[in-house]
Amino acid sequence: MTASLSLIQQYGPQVLSGFGITIVSWLGAVVLGMALGFLIAVLQLFAGRWVRTVLRIYIEVLRTTPFLVQLFILYYGGPNFGLSLQALDAGIIALAIYGSAYFAEVFRSGFTSVPRGHLEAAQCLGMSRLTTIWRVQLPQMLVIITPSLVNLIIILSKETSVLSIVTVPELTAILTQIGSEQFIYVQTMLILSVCYLLLVGVTQKLGSWAEARASRFLQH
Amino acid sequence: MFDAQSFLHALPLLLRAAQMTVFVSAVGLLIGFLIAVAVVSACLSPRPPMRRLGNLYTFVFRGVPLLVQLMLAYYFLPTLGINVSPDVAAIAAVSLCEGAYLGEILRGGFLGIPRGQIEATQMLGISRFATLVHIEIPQALKLTAPSLVNEMILLVKASSLISVVGVAEITRTAQNIAASTFRPLEAYVAAGLMYMAVNGILSVLGHYAERHFERA
Amino acid sequence: MTPTATQPLSPDAPLIDIRGISKHFGPNRVLDGISLGVRRSEVICIIGPSGSGKSTLLRSIAFLEKYDAGEIFIEGQLLGYVNQGQGRRDATTAEINRVRQHVGMVFQHFNLWPHMTALGNVAEALIRVKRLSRDEARRKAMAMLERVGLAAKADAYPIRLSGGQQQRVAIARALAMEPHIMLFDEPTSALDPELVGEVLQVMKNLAHDGMTMMVVTHEMGFAAQVADRVIFLDQGKIAASGPPATLFRDVQQERLKQFLQNYLDRNAFWER
Repeated sequence: MTASLSLIQQYGPQVLSGFGITIVSWLGAVVLGMALGFLIAVLQLFAGRWVRTVLRIYIEVLRTTPFLVQLFILYYGGPNFGLSLQALDAGIIALAIYGSAYFAEVFRSGFTSVPRGHLEAAQCLGMSRLTTIWRVQLPQMLVIITPSLVNLIIILSKETSVLSIVTVPELTAILTQIGSEQFIYVQTMLILSVCYLLLVGVTQKLGSWAEARASRFLQH
Repeated sequence: MFDAQSFLHALPLLLRAAQMTVFVSAVGLLIGFLIAVAVVSACLSPRPPMRRLGNLYTFVFRGVPLLVQLMLAYYFLPTLGINVSPDVAAIAAVSLCEGAYLGEILRGGFLGIPRGQIEATQMLGISRFATLVHIEIPQALKLTAPSLVNEMILLVKASSLISVVGVAEITRTAQNIAASTFRPLEAYVAAGLMYMAVNGILSVLGHYAERHFERA
Repeated sequence: MTPTATQPLSPDAPLIDIRGISKHFGPNRVLDGISLGVRRSEVICIIGPSGSGKSTLLRSIAFLEKYDAGEIFIEGQLLGYVNQGQGRRDATTAEINRVRQHVGMVFQHFNLWPHMTALGNVAEALIRVKRLSRDEARRKAMAMLERVGLAAKADAYPIRLSGGQQQRVAIARALAMEPHIMLFDEPTSALDPELVGEVLQVMKNLAHDGMTMMVVTHEMGFAAQVADRVIFLDQGKIAASGPPATLFRDVQQERLKQFLQNYLDRNAFWER
């Protein structure tokens, strides 16, 4: 017992810092990835054939290759193009780019899920495409795609563990290190598991709440 | 900037490593499927304790990142006295994880089978187990075939993590190449392309499977 | 010979001038050389079997469907295309909106925006397109809702309104933009029978107030009472047209006879 207490004293701050890094990289990637994904989805609505093809390739490449490989390419391969990023920066950017492909697909399906009639009504009233997207499509879309968005956000939270492989000092890296230093691998892995379960559980609860609030005006 | 030569040299090595990737993914899918059937049965069981167990399994194995599960398997099994090679530990971890995800997919499939069919088989006196094997699983498979192929693709991508415990699949091999040639970009781009190729083939197979099951 | 955009329209000239328009979906000719003129304050009802092209005709006037051949003039301006030397090019969205700005449309499935209140729905285009201030827009929107008898439901969300109420809000939304022409695409087909009356009443009031209306409908009673002209569409062509009294009572055309008989068989519930 006292051994555990002293361990907590010794490593507490580190673990907290690791947790902080996990949260920062997770939320940073979510915000950047969602923004980028939304931009891509909107571009796909408006742009010409060539741009759409390029975007399609972007999405397919990101969705058919593992995140780890993408991370390696950015972090270890980046210097080839003059892009020498810090591990954390590379991690957040890589995760954001990875997420953007999935977010783009969710937003795209969201755009097409709004009944055509609602758009036609806006058209007949003389509303511009941009106004229609902003005032009619987006609010309704958010209701329909909230579950998918929550799902992606949870997936990204778990992917942050991969950042440990490129030496980002997030939770997995810290606890793995402690485990090997103190020869308590299994205990630290279990604590790590519980941490992620808590994170996922809380996010799921918040997600359900958001879904319920959003679907107040969904008309079937 | 980009050395085409080292890129091209990496490809044959990665092609061989791809076999390992596909092997691990396939075995993981198969064993995961068996686990999934057990999980689904638990989740849909009339007894609350079984349901709780099933839901708990799903929550835990979908909530903990695969990387952590892999490391747990790698370090935990030896403490139980089970000394296995990294490959086996990796397959075990991947299977357990897949079991949870496949379970969710199968659940949709099982729920899609009309209740009346199950009742009819019960009336005919066919055992629960036989009903499961001969009536429910085949239909659930038919209903969820496209999702299962999709899951296989996800599994191939997730398998890149088993490089961490030293299994000689695509990512690990690329890491080795990068270390020996000092050209990480070319090695990892080649790895990426290899994954795309594998997943591309899986997608095509998936379309055939979809059409095959549609007709049946 | 095409009237230019700046030429004022003489009072007798048709508000909507449709000249020989055609449209196909693949091998199907949905509209086959339709010509029609709609005068100011005229109420036209379009009837016909399903697949006859009624909705397509209406949607072409709203340019929600692009007609392939022929011309549609709204208040003297060519809709959807711009004449260019010998041929014509597709109009830009801005050009289409300019020609279409005095046309309002009401849809079969209302198409109210579920995330805005009734008032919000009616005021939205006033704010975004006519650029009224929020207060001005809300005042005008309230006036419109009063006109359709739904001022009390201004703050209700569509999900809380009955079908009939939603359709009336949809009518108010279109009216708020002060259209010269109102198009109705089977406005009561999606409604429960008891709710049809309230919507038809609003439409009758509009007609009495002098609105130019084109209504695709199955409500023969409404057509008989309110229409100046009834058009019977069959297989993409105008098979018969005339005032309801002549068209319904002295049925000449065989197809129209069949169609009306069908309708009577399904709807007459008194001794024949």
